[in-house]
Amino acid sequence: MSTTEHHDDPVEPVLPEHGDLYGVLAEYDTPGELVEAARKVRDAGYTEFDCYSPFPVHGIDEAMGIKRTILPLLIFGGGFAGTVGGLFLEWYCNAYRWGWNISGKPTWSIPANIPIGFETTILLSVLTTFFGVWMLNKLPQVWHPFFRSDKFAKVTDDSFFIGIEAKDRRFDVEATEKLLKDAGALEIEKVYLDPDPAKKKLPKWIMAFIVSSTAFALVPLVIAAKARNSKSSEPHIHIFPDMDFQPKYKSDQAMDLFSDERENRGELDGTVSRDPASLKADEAFYYGLDNGAWITGFPKQLDIDQRLMDRGKSRFNIYCTPCHGYDGQGMGAVPTRVARGGGTWSVRDLTDNSKPPSHAVITMPNGQLFNTISNGYATMMGYAGQIPHRDRWAIVLYVRALERAHNASIDDVPADQQKGIR
Amino acid sequence: MSLTKTLHPDEKIKAGKLGKSLTKVGLGIAFVFLGISLVLGAMHPDGHMRRFLYAYVIGWSYIFSIAIGMLWLIILHHLVRGRWVTVVRRIAEAMAGAMPIIFIAGLGFILPLVFGYKDLYYWAHPDAHDPAINHTMLHKLGWLEPNFFAIRYVFYGVALSFLAHYFRKKSIEQDTTGDPKISETLRIASGPAMVLFALVTCFVAFDVLMSMSPKWYSTIYGVAFWGSGCVGAFAAFALLTLAIQRTGRLTRSVNPEHYHDMGKWMFSFTFFWAYTAFSQFMLQWYGNMPEETVFYKYRMFGEWQWVSIAVLVGFFAFPFVFLMSRWTKRIVPALVFFSVWQLVFHWLDLYWNVMPNYDWGTQFHEDTKLVLGPLTGNTAFHHVAFSAVDITVWIGLIGVFLIGVGRNLTGNLIPVKDPTLGLSLAHENQ
Repeated sequence: MSTTEHHDDPVEPVLPEHGDLYGVLAEYDTPGELVEAARKVRDAGYTEFDCYSPFPVHGIDEAMGIKRTILPLLIFGGGFAGTVGGLFLEWYCNAYRWGWNISGKPTWSIPANIPIGFETTILLSVLTTFFGVWMLNKLPQVWHPFFRSDKFAKVTDDSFFIGIEAKDRRFDVEATEKLLKDAGALEIEKVYLDPDPAKKKLPKWIMAFIVSSTAFALVPLVIAAKARNSKSSEPHIHIFPDMDFQPKYKSDQAMDLFSDERENRGELDGTVSRDPASLKADEAFYYGLDNGAWITGFPKQLDIDQRLMDRGKSRFNIYCTPCHGYDGQGMGAVPTRVARGGGTWSVRDLTDNSKPPSHAVITMPNGQLFNTISNGYATMMGYAGQIPHRDRWAIVLYVRALERAHNASIDDVPADQQKGIR
Repeated sequence: MSLTKTLHPDEKIKAGKLGKSLTKVGLGIAFVFLGISLVLGAMHPDGHMRRFLYAYVIGWSYIFSIAIGMLWLIILHHLVRGRWVTVVRRIAEAMAGAMPIIFIAGLGFILPLVFGYKDLYYWAHPDAHDPAINHTMLHKLGWLEPNFFAIRYVFYGVALSFLAHYFRKKSIEQDTTGDPKISETLRIASGPAMVLFALVTCFVAFDVLMSMSPKWYSTIYGVAFWGSGCVGAFAAFALLTLAIQRTGRLTRSVNPEHYHDMGKWMFSFTFFWAYTAFSQFMLQWYGNMPEETVFYKYRMFGEWQWVSIAVLVGFFAFPFVFLMSRWTKRIVPALVFFSVWQLVFHWLDLYWNVMPNYDWGTQFHEDTKLVLGPLTGNTAFHHVAFSAVDITVWIGLIGVFLIGVGRNLTGNLIPVKDPTLGLSLAHENQ
């Protein structure tokens, strides 16, 4: 590198041939020799050395005097945190913070929550394993001074190396080399650091990659944050349009295939039901009618007792409470939630007696109430397909009890129990 | 340090009298305990030897599941070119080789069935054909028919005995010829053998155990049974190997590395069983369909819930936590403790599968005013009643198993000319 002809150029410093000595590298022929040599190096008292091999060598840990890893303990901790954390998340979301009545099922039960607890256990164990291995091995390490040795490339192919670093307090070039040679090394090489101190820095393109990929990873978060804090009149994005818009007909949709433009074809002539109950000869039990008028009592085959009342309560709490609420006054989970979002979802108060008779459930005959449960009313759908007849009558009974309870006076309570109620 | 080792020249690898003495011990146990069981069974107040036969099915499934666990290990070993098993494979082969004896012992409940015994399997009872109470199982009665059942049983026995015999015979043949091609042959055979093994094991579980509750079904049942069996099999494997070492044989060849792997298998099957058993439970519990939940109804509620909890904690939770550590598998007393523990709870698991079906009788449903058939899940009808005969039959049948194992413990206890023996001897767990 000549500087004599270009006087204007800045003078480049002349670099020495080598940097500081980093360590010595010894090559061995077989994994067996590597293990034996490692044992000798360990016995000589060296600590700052490592073995390099194309594949895991059994027994090398013991030969090098490496302590057993604490990784299993870390993984156990991670897995345990996964179990507890997963179960807590489920309990907090489903049972505590946003409890939701789904068909009267309990909001919290252990069996339903085990699969997620299991998954989070696996997830956190695996993540702990993955990152634990990196951390305990001081990774990522993109470069190592031993890479400056050309021979060292064979370590990924068919050769085995021991490298002793110069910073070891027992390191002495000649003695160390002799030790490695006596242990059967094929060849020994001194490895120096690069003379150019700039080479020690992280290359710019790696840094650029880290910064840009991190920035890129933030894009979805930014989109989500924008969506949360702005309003849009566009329909929401359909990620799976074929699942949102399925090529099928739902009951009672319009359909131009038939002249009456109805999709529901009804029963064909001569259809015979498989269910003897659906012959429905008993008008009172199956329709709540007696000679065309709503019945006011209950069908004769029902025993009006505590058992029927309990049945009615449990069915009511499953099917009716999402809208009507547990007290029947119309503020169930659905209207409450709609109201929270600023809308209205008006639900009939089953116990109200202030409305005109035509609108009050309380004045309906039992038969009409039964019919409403069966076939629906306004936006309320019919429950004939979901609730058997007997259970619908049980609900009628329970609704009657709710109405009675809400409009009760102190005189309804037996005299000997009035004391203490206020 | 090398990747292979050679067999130590002073190693005692000849079985010698070991097999004969084990057979004698087995014969003694079998005669004494099955004798006692016959007396206890005849004296049992329920009569007809019914309790005895129920206990017999449990005990038979127990020894059978241990033998299939070992047979599975042998087939798998060849299928994946396993290494560590080689040094102890003869012991596994001897355990799997008990298969013919086990199937002969099983005639103890098959023959009564064929000769018209009605009170063991409900589907063999005349009531089973009553459409008024059993319409949900009528379609199964073509398969669940005593004579057809016995024919299938013979097929299962022949198939599994053949597999066990084939792998053992070829392995012994290699001891004399030293032909490495035999390993190759067995590897090729192990693929189809695994398929046959899996199907037969599954159907044995369906027929012998699942048909105990004939109104119920679960497609994962055979897998869960096999998983439970493998826990017991590896526990028994470790104990038998330790016992053989106590006689001075194999002391230089089998070391904690091999026990570590047996313990690992025991651990993983402990979890595998829990996984399959829970998969079975979870889907049926959530699906909440009467024909599926019936099985769990009378196990989850009522008296049997305490046995269910005992199985869950004893067979899964407790051993799972402790077997996780490498030290419980490497320190001999700890391994022995957990092997014995799991062998006991494996029995309780089978007990839990079979015995709740013991109480059947006509039941009346209060809500619907309907007369129900048996085994429809009414907890009031299913009682826990441990009986001495349950235990004595179990021990007696373990004696039968030991006879079967002892008969096969002959010649070399190590496959001396197996090409993978060196790797197995030098086996190390990182």
